[in-house]
Amino acid sequence: MIPQTFEYTAPKTLDEAMVLLEGGGKPLAGGMSLIPMMKLRLATPEHLIDLGRIKDLDYIREAAGELHIGATATHSSVENSALVKAKCPLLAAAAGAIGDPQIRNVGTMGGSVAHADPAADYPAALQALEAKIVIRGAKGERTVSAADFFVDAFTTTLDAGEVVREVVVPVEQAGTGTSYMKMPQPASGFAIVGVAVRVRRGGGKITLARIGVTGLSNIGYRASAAEKALEGSAGTADDIMKAAALVTQGVDANSDLHASAEYRKHLASVYAARAITAAASKA
Amino acid sequence: MLARAIPGCEGLEQTGPDEYRMKMKMALASLSGAFEGKVKITDSNPPSSFRLLVEGSSKIGFVKGEGLLTLTASGENTDISYEGDAQIGGTMAAIGQRLIDGTSKMMIKKFFEKLTAESAS
Amino acid sequence: MATTIIQTEKLVGKRIRRREDPRLITGTATYVDDIQMPGMHHAAIVRSPHAAAKIRSINIKAAAEAPGVVAVFTGKDTEKVGPVPCGASLPGLRVPHHYILAIDRVYLVGHPVAVVVATDRYLARDAADLVEVEWEVLPAVADPEKAIAPGAPPVHPQWPDNVAFVYHQEGGDVDKAFAEAEVVVKQRITSQRLIPSAMETRGVLAEWRGADRQMTLYTSTQIPHLVRTLVSGMLGLEENRMRVIAPEVGGGFGSKLNVYSEEALMGFVSMKIGKPVKWIESRRENFLCTIHGRGHVDYFEVAAKKDGTILGIKLKLIQDQGAYHQLLGPAIPTLSVLMMPGLYRTKNVRAEIVGVFTNCTPTDAYRGAGRPEATHGIERMVDILADELKMDPAEIRLKNFVHNEEFPFPTATGLTYDSGDYAAPLQKAMGIVDYKKLLAEQAEARKQGKLMGIGICTYGEICGFGPSPATPAGGWECGTVRVEPSGKVTVLTGSCHHGQGEETTFAQIAADELGVDIDDILVLRGDTAIVPYGIGTFGSRATAIGGTALYFALQDLKVKIKKFGAVLLGSPDVSFANGQVTCNKMGKSVSFKEVAAASYRAMKLPPNTEPGLVSTHFWEPPNFTFGFGAHIAVTEIDPETGQITVRRYLAVDDCGNIINPLLVDGQVHGGVAQGMGQALWEQGVYDDNGQLITGEYTDYAMPRAHMMPWIQSEHTITPSPVNPLGVKGVGEAGTIGASPSLVNSVVDALSHLGVRHIDMPMTPEKIWKLVAGGKN
Ligand SMILES: Cc1cc2nc3c(=O)[nH]c(=O)nc-3n(C[C@H](O)[C@H](O)[C@H](O)COP(=O)(O)OP(=O)(O)OC[C@H]3O[C@@H](n4cnc5c(N)ncnc54)[C@H](O)[C@@H]3O)c2cc1C
Repeated sequence: MIPQTFEYTAPKTLDEAMVLLEGGGKPLAGGMSLIPMMKLRLATPEHLIDLGRIKDLDYIREAAGELHIGATATHSSVENSALVKAKCPLLAAAAGAIGDPQIRNVGTMGGSVAHADPAADYPAALQALEAKIVIRGAKGERTVSAADFFVDAFTTTLDAGEVVREVVVPVEQAGTGTSYMKMPQPASGFAIVGVAVRVRRGGGKITLARIGVTGLSNIGYRASAAEKALEGSAGTADDIMKAAALVTQGVDANSDLHASAEYRKHLASVYAARAITAAASKA
Repeated sequence: MLARAIPGCEGLEQTGPDEYRMKMKMALASLSGAFEGKVKITDSNPPSSFRLLVEGSSKIGFVKGEGLLTLTASGENTDISYEGDAQIGGTMAAIGQRLIDGTSKMMIKKFFEKLTAESAS
Repeated sequence: MATTIIQTEKLVGKRIRRREDPRLITGTATYVDDIQMPGMHHAAIVRSPHAAAKIRSINIKAAAEAPGVVAVFTGKDTEKVGPVPCGASLPGLRVPHHYILAIDRVYLVGHPVAVVVATDRYLARDAADLVEVEWEVLPAVADPEKAIAPGAPPVHPQWPDNVAFVYHQEGGDVDKAFAEAEVVVKQRITSQRLIPSAMETRGVLAEWRGADRQMTLYTSTQIPHLVRTLVSGMLGLEENRMRVIAPEVGGGFGSKLNVYSEEALMGFVSMKIGKPVKWIESRRENFLCTIHGRGHVDYFEVAAKKDGTILGIKLKLIQDQGAYHQLLGPAIPTLSVLMMPGLYRTKNVRAEIVGVFTNCTPTDAYRGAGRPEATHGIERMVDILADELKMDPAEIRLKNFVHNEEFPFPTATGLTYDSGDYAAPLQKAMGIVDYKKLLAEQAEARKQGKLMGIGICTYGEICGFGPSPATPAGGWECGTVRVEPSGKVTVLTGSCHHGQGEETTFAQIAADELGVDIDDILVLRGDTAIVPYGIGTFGSRATAIGGTALYFALQDLKVKIKKFGAVLLGSPDVSFANGQVTCNKMGKSVSFKEVAAASYRAMKLPPNTEPGLVSTHFWEPPNFTFGFGAHIAVTEIDPETGQITVRRYLAVDDCGNIINPLLVDGQVHGGVAQGMGQALWEQGVYDDNGQLITGEYTDYAMPRAHMMPWIQSEHTITPSPVNPLGVKGVGEAGTIGASPSLVNSVVDALSHLGVRHIDMPMTPEKIWKLVAGGKN
């Protein structure tokens, strides 16, 4: 459990970090995913650039109807932020569902999305929130939607030398109910499946439905068929069941020691129904 | 063509009629490793099917994949289907459970995407 | 705090906080890895990534030339070091020669093939990657039932059937019992592989001082004296020239009741390089290279009368031994056979064990060692029988228990149950949970389509291992009490505790007997140069045997104290109590402290008495002790997801007299957590190629605090007649009682759907499938 020799630099500013990263450095955030891999020598980066000392990456703020979460904001700061709890409760709920308190105290938003673990909690919420990911590279910044950011298991649109600078989520409008529900894998705490739901009502109907699913397949995704089924419906128990049955449509579910593909799909529908019901009751 | 289709393949050197020595770099999120191994084609049954055997080992363990590729003409296109089995061992196996299914699917997907792209060009 | 109050109140029986805890919870205890020595080197071990392979060649050149590396050794260098010992002896047992480093073939993933020694730990680890091994990979087998099927790859080529041993035991007339049976129930029951997961991994530091011809071996072990006897033998070193020290040991659960190749290997390396050398096991190595527990496939058959009377039991037990025998491996399933009748009267039993080699980590003692498997089996079978006969599970148990007047009760498997009142804990437990009300609630819940289960387990446990004829290396224990000239008391015990709390309980016993303040007592263990000899801490034996040895040493000492007191008081008519030797007639007394000083000053010796106040007692127990109890688990199941919620967990244990209820509760809580881990979450899983796929905590589901329900711990007390303390043992009780009560509870919740048995761990997916499919 001893990593290969590596160099370590802790720049104070993002600009400094960008230079080091262009030189082939590997970003280190909370280290909750990277360091275990290094200890097993499954990851052997030669130069770690610790983003943890960069003050202007650690923030949570509101601007122009959106919340901006800096890359090094920890899961527990997102979970416990009064701002996030009030303005984007779904994100706070997803943060609070991650692993255990020790993990949440150290793991970060940027690290989690960049790592793109297929069973991570944030992707479900970020998909449902239609979040934007702001990426900083040597040539400047670009912004990608969560839908485009996550490409495959552990694969994102990030190019070498690029970092996640912040994640942007909308301030939830009044009348929106949200819920995140997950079945944790008993060993790691990661999601066997996790479903994030936003539901808005108007005129006795569901006017908006956003459903993000994680754990089921290689990436967190939006269950569009289920969303469509729900939108425009009255949101009765029956409507919810019908919509929930569609969350796995067209999805190639993964199978492992902890859950077969068949069971995962079943769970996704069950958790979707529960999360939609819970969200709808708050809408 | 094979060399370009196998994800991470950095060089293929023919060592026998249907056998190649391969250098492969696997980089997946923070996991990375340089593998050395061999690729073997057996049960070659052109043009409809062949069996591909890929074996690689590195400091972090070994991988072994075996698959039957079946090519069927459907109109202008050729459908490729795959049936196979992947095995990992060594340190990788220790943490592989949660990752193996997803990542092997991804590798296979990449392989076919590249294969399709290569055959198209 | 050295207060000198006169102790008149007894400490035994009190909830006294653990005296060892401050250093443990402040992180200031000294474990092997905390020990630093001038000139200390570090070792990294190169291990096989394959479960079965021939070694074509090993190239150590690059590693040997790497920075900081002073030596690299392979199997050729260590070939003459004695094999890793198997202490179990069974008729016809096949014992593969277990080299400390592989010679030309490996038998499991993690098999050590070379050791790299460097000036620091990091350089050693780096250089280990440079050792090149050319493998010829062979087919492997990881499942014991597949291993004994025809055509399976042989683990050891000399034994192509993969059978390590076959063991048969029989009592009474089984054929008659089954012929007369009105009902026979059969079930295949597994007890999966578990990974012990002590918080501290193993570690060894060997210091060879060539000029003195002496070796000190620090090792994280439960059995320092046996390690000395066996490892000195492996190294060809005279036993008295080796000192083994077990410093603080961060848990063992049986996994450190062993002699491991690394202990001899570090000794060998230190002798070769003439420097101290340390090896600390990584967690990854711990998963692969420290023994695993359980690994049973059991085929049970129970014959009974229609009224529920059990007539006989048959068991075919397939034990996955792994690739090698560690110290006690083959003996563990024989304990399951001993305990297979449980608390029931039946005298007709037949068991056959097939010990099977697989290309996996060896199995050996893990908390409960054979008894959890046995209890799980019989307690599941009794529930299955009750289900078959439409009887209440509590009623069928009460009907079959050994009666109170039958003790000492000779069992069908040759044991003698010392004392008991088996109905008492069950009745107490049923009273506490209000069993009738629970049944009514369950009936109501079923009507509403809810799944609720009530699970009972009544268990018996062989504690106090054990009479020497029944244990491989002697079953006695040694206790020494040394009163220092200042009146402070040092207790030396062969019970090498490693988290159990004997620094507290043994001090309680000594404080009561000597009437001194508990703070005046220091309990030492774990050093062969300090403690005369010892067997160690395992098998719920420390208090029953080590505590009793201490008790007798204290009695000897009390006689001597009185003699010195009599001399000081000038009267032979004295008594010793509350730390005072008193002559009632004269109305005078002298304190324990004064006696201690006088005994060493030796101005005037009592007749035929040596100076000093030291006493050592080796105590040989005449029998095991047999703890028992009843656990009740109430569960609820989410029918949509299969998730199990443990709503209530009650343990009523009878461990005889209780020295410290706080520590007993702690043992029960920890034990239940481990049993619950097996029932619900933990499983050591190998793929078909012998790769351990639950090889890290990311896949191996250790129970965490937040996963545990509240555990209520209650007791009945039936003193053991085997020892003067009247104690039995409780170290393993929780583990033994937990898995059957939980599985019985979940099966009960699903019984109306036709479910009769569920193998562990009861994952949500399994339960969901049963709910969906309605059968097992
Ligand atoms: C025991 C355990 C349980 C866990 N349980 C859960 C769970 O239930 N749910 C869940 O979602 N997660 C879980 N995690 C993962 C945890 O949330 C991690 O914190 C997270 O996935 C990675 O964040 P980090 O800050 O630790 O990143 P690191 O480990 O430091 O980095 C991860 C990867 O991202 C890269 N990286 C980091 N920051 C950036 C950036 N700003 N830009 C670009 N690349 C970057 C690194 O180079 C590395 O490749 C668990 C982890 C552990 C150890």
